[in-house]
Amino acid sequence: MNPQPPAASYQIHCRMTPEVAALERLCQVVRVRGFRIAKMAMENVGDSLDIALTLEGNRPIGMLQSQLEKLQTVVVVELKDQALSVVERFSAG
Amino acid sequence: MNGAQHILEAFHRHHIDTVFGYPGGCIMPLYDALVDDAVVEHVLCRHEQACALAADGYARASGRTGVCIATSGPGATNLITGVANAHRDSVPMVVITGQVPSALIGTDAFQETDMLGMALGIVKHSYLVEQADELPGVLEEAFKLASEGRPGPVWIDIPKDILLAEVGPAPAVHGTPGVDEVVDASRVMAMLKASQRPLLYSGGGISLAHAEDAFRAFTEASGLPGVTTLKGLGNAGKRAPNDLGMLGMHGSRAANRAVAECDLLLVIGARLDDRATGKLEAFAPSARTIHIDADAAEFNKLRPADLTLMGDLTTILRALTGEVQTSPLAISDWQQTCRHWHTTGGFHAADNDDPYAPIHGPAFIRQLSRITADDTVIACDVGQHQMWVAQYYDFDHPRHHLTSGGLGTMGFGLPAAIGAQFANRASTVINVTGDGSFMMNAQELATIRRYQLPVKIIILDNQCLGMVRQQQELFYNNRESQIDLDDNPDFLTMAKAFDIHALHINRSDQVRRGIETLLAYQGPMLLHVAIAREENVWPIVKPGAGNTDMIDETHRPRSNKEYVA
Repeated sequence: MNPQPPAASYQIHCRMTPEVAALERLCQVVRVRGFRIAKMAMENVGDSLDIALTLEGNRPIGMLQSQLEKLQTVVVVELKDQALSVVERFSAG
Repeated sequence: MNGAQHILEAFHRHHIDTVFGYPGGCIMPLYDALVDDAVVEHVLCRHEQACALAADGYARASGRTGVCIATSGPGATNLITGVANAHRDSVPMVVITGQVPSALIGTDAFQETDMLGMALGIVKHSYLVEQADELPGVLEEAFKLASEGRPGPVWIDIPKDILLAEVGPAPAVHGTPGVDEVVDASRVMAMLKASQRPLLYSGGGISLAHAEDAFRAFTEASGLPGVTTLKGLGNAGKRAPNDLGMLGMHGSRAANRAVAECDLLLVIGARLDDRATGKLEAFAPSARTIHIDADAAEFNKLRPADLTLMGDLTTILRALTGEVQTSPLAISDWQQTCRHWHTTGGFHAADNDDPYAPIHGPAFIRQLSRITADDTVIACDVGQHQMWVAQYYDFDHPRHHLTSGGLGTMGFGLPAAIGAQFANRASTVINVTGDGSFMMNAQELATIRRYQLPVKIIILDNQCLGMVRQQQELFYNNRESQIDLDDNPDFLTMAKAFDIHALHINRSDQVRRGIETLLAYQGPMLLHVAIAREENVWPIVKPGAGNTDMIDETHRPRSNKEYVA
């Protein structure tokens, strides 16, 4: 059996609309796309949920980022210390 | 107006005139409202899975949003396979389920299941309506989400008390003014111009984007040789001179060779699925890649692209067509090479001159293709027959080929054919199925009978799970395990039990007459076609191997059959 390479660590900040099951959606995509949540903090900020995630995984983080951006409840995904990605949705409220 | 009546109002606003469903406890308020509705036709299937698959078939055949309805608990869980099927193939669908009353959620109430949680991974989006006044806005958003961008299923779970509650008026809908998309096609053109051997690789995204006409205009103007995915069959039309057909695990040698030897791959509306690419490292090894899609998440997911273009495919294709018309590509040598490969390495099923010979699956499908009209809709199931249809049936339009591509759902074909027949009552709709797949939703014969649908059913019966048997033969040392179906029911008697006419054929000389009889019959009919148990789908690429490592009949192992079970 080939040894697994050490997993890379990433920090992601995610802003979501506080719909039912918003956190479950986020966590499910992270798991299905091959990452493990090492640390997670969430707070309500105005009409949004701000979520800070420390993730570990061997797959390209950009692939996860683009999948998270597809979630209808996700407003912003920022990959810390890397290129910023912003998705603006629900601009009409 | 109560919540249930709001749902019907939303159907009216979105021109939904056909829905597929099954009633039960928590969705009863909606069924009560349906009694007074003169616009929406509710199709009662005999299993909720079939409701979802029929809505899927309706959407694929019509290009409109399919709608399915079920009650809470088992009704909703039975929908899951059909909704997952729509999700994997990006089919626009709105799913409406009743939920136990709000006050009972979380109490393990009768027929309570957490559908929002269960369905998270198989929907584009989902809602649990918690406040009655949310419902009109949720319905509007759901129909919009289901069909815009990359389509997909949107699930709305509605507690029974909200279906009964008085709800305020629906929000005013203001169309967002369209913004003309400006496409910079110059970089695509520069790469096409620099290429000696460019190849077009198109998928199901073409019809999902309603971009069929723009795609054909581009293929004709560019003259690009093209390969298609399973879901893209028909994109170029059946008479396109440069179309090489399906690539991949069961693709043609010509298509896979063109991919292997091209120096530029122009991927449009496809996601580089593993069944199409085989081993990624061996896929189009010499090619640069341009990827055009409506979903940015598909870019660089499996293969890095040299250039990506996201947006409306019709707009992009029109821009590209304008460019190639102004500055035609000089690829005549490459076109000739591809045509030669297609002549020598395409799919050619020989007719059997021996009238008493057993029926050969591929030859049967080729004959079916010759006899049927161009606008015939074929709803496949999953297995060997599905691949023979993909290989030997010439589709003139992608909406004529309904197939479960991503999920590979056995039992898809019969309910999908029902949905397609409701989408267009005048169409000839044929469910081509196998004996394994047919039995997975055979109860829908009752739906066909109830609505007098003239759906034609062709069962290619090899008395086993043929695709599994084939892979056990080739990749598991011929150790057969749990594939025998030689105790199938008598399908003719079964059809008769549903008052459906049926015919059996088993010899080559009966094929043409059998198909003509089927097509000429007014009303539903089943054609039972006995084929040999040992027939395989050729060629085949071993899962995980490169597409150039195709196995054909010459590689078939000698009979060393070992019956394990």
